[in-house]
Amino acid sequence: MSGFEIRFSGAGGQGLQLCAKLLSAALAREGKTVAISQGYEPTSRGGLSRADMVVSDEGAAEYPLVTALDYLVVLDRAAVGVSEGLVREGGLILIDARRVDKMPRGKYEIRQMPFSETAMRLGNERVANVIALSALVGIGNICARETLEQTIRTGTPPKFLDLNIEAMQQGYALADEQVAAA
Amino acid sequence: MSNRTLPVNIQGNHACALGAVAAGCRFYAGYPITPSSEVAERMSAELPKVGGIFIQMEDEIGSMGAIIGASMGGSKVMTATSGPGFSLKQENIGYAAMTETPCVVVNVMRGGPSTGMPTRPAQGDVMQARWGTHGDHPAIVLVPSSVKEVFDETVRAFNLAETLRTPVILLIDEVVGHLVETIALPKASELDLVDRKWADGPKKGFQPFAVTDDMVPPMPRPGDGYRAHFTGLTHDESGFPTQKPEKVAQAVGRILDKLERHRDLIESYEALQTDDAELLVVAYGITGRSARKAVAMARDKGLKAGLLRPITLWPFPEAALKEATKNARHVLVPEMNAGQLCYEVERICGTERIARLNRFDGEAISPAHILEKIEELA
Repeated sequence: MSGFEIRFSGAGGQGLQLCAKLLSAALAREGKTVAISQGYEPTSRGGLSRADMVVSDEGAAEYPLVTALDYLVVLDRAAVGVSEGLVREGGLILIDARRVDKMPRGKYEIRQMPFSETAMRLGNERVANVIALSALVGIGNICARETLEQTIRTGTPPKFLDLNIEAMQQGYALADEQVAAA
Repeated sequence: MSNRTLPVNIQGNHACALGAVAAGCRFYAGYPITPSSEVAERMSAELPKVGGIFIQMEDEIGSMGAIIGASMGGSKVMTATSGPGFSLKQENIGYAAMTETPCVVVNVMRGGPSTGMPTRPAQGDVMQARWGTHGDHPAIVLVPSSVKEVFDETVRAFNLAETLRTPVILLIDEVVGHLVETIALPKASELDLVDRKWADGPKKGFQPFAVTDDMVPPMPRPGDGYRAHFTGLTHDESGFPTQKPEKVAQAVGRILDKLERHRDLIESYEALQTDDAELLVVAYGITGRSARKAVAMARDKGLKAGLLRPITLWPFPEAALKEATKNARHVLVPEMNAGQLCYEVERICGTERIARLNRFDGEAISPAHILEKIEELA
């Protein structure tokens, strides 16, 4: 069975569970089967938080928890150590350039990107999650950009819709920069 | 596809609530506790839509009492909890077994003992689910390993409770309870639902606990005019207490026998590559899925491994295990506890062939971990 594994990780309150929820809804729209699991520490703000996805093309994943990540997103230094040894060789790691100062070591494709910085420029650091999610979709071609956009439009309360769409566009722009530079 | 709704991403605990409502549950009483709270939360949203009743009770004891009362009143009922709350429910679970009151009790297992680790997974309540309440009592315990199976087994739990007039326990581990998976829910018209057998014979001389062919007496519906008495004390056919040895033996014997006679209805399991298996893994819940992957990895390496995944934990599918271990030199029982189901497997297969793999640190057992053990034994 072909498929892949993704982890969104960072600190509680950064919207990591929402990333998995949006992306899994997009993938379900495209006919994929998803399993999501999560972990978080008792601290609701600042403690480690992670959302894991196992994506398969057909049928339920044999084992629904991650064992070898193809993609890892790290939005806070609290989450750097926790995924050690869990990323597949050659796996793609996207790291927030401002909030993470320690890089994972190994044979990975690591990209430091200005997720939180761009979010602050948009006026709300809390949309760093949507920027990172969109950058990941853009670089990894995980689903069609249009499908993610549809999902964000359906899943966002009206009050935050414009901001989230802008964040998504910034994420895609960051992805295009990375792809062009590569 | 035409019979099914479009696939959606659903959490295990929500699938339990949706399965319950689909099965006809119209009364839920509970006290929220991690990692089961989403069952209550979803029931509180779904039940009002179908004219059902949701009550948040003062505690788990009251919740269990409330569902028993509502079931005696004619409703299909459910409650959900986790380890500490499950301990509190035990006395009333025995009362439901003794009064033959259909009910479904969900236990989403977390790390124990005591309040343990609320958000971490464990499978430590295997024996409590079987023997938690005192005395010789029947116990049906179902243990799903995916979100889809949570839905299906919840529906089956209601059908078994209604058919056999007995409490049914749905034992879910935290991983499966909180897991979100893409599933297509069956439409209501697709489900085979069972309603309990109601008394409809003569009212005069009615015996609420009569010995019938199937060992399940029809239940008197309040308002239908039958006189009935329910008590936890050992009772004869009339429902009133007795201590006459022959009546006691008959009464307790019957509630045990009614399960034995319906094993074919109750027992469910997945057997995978067991025909030529020289090493059989027996695993359930999330560990069952881990074992499924480990067995596939072992087969890729040329090892003759197989899997028996009980979906009904109690009564244990004994005949299936005997059949699956025909050629097995080793039987490996991985569990997220210090060793519980392994005792039942040992009872059936003998101790010589049994190997254990236990983990009780709040982490799931990975496929690689099981594979390592398989390779060590092979």
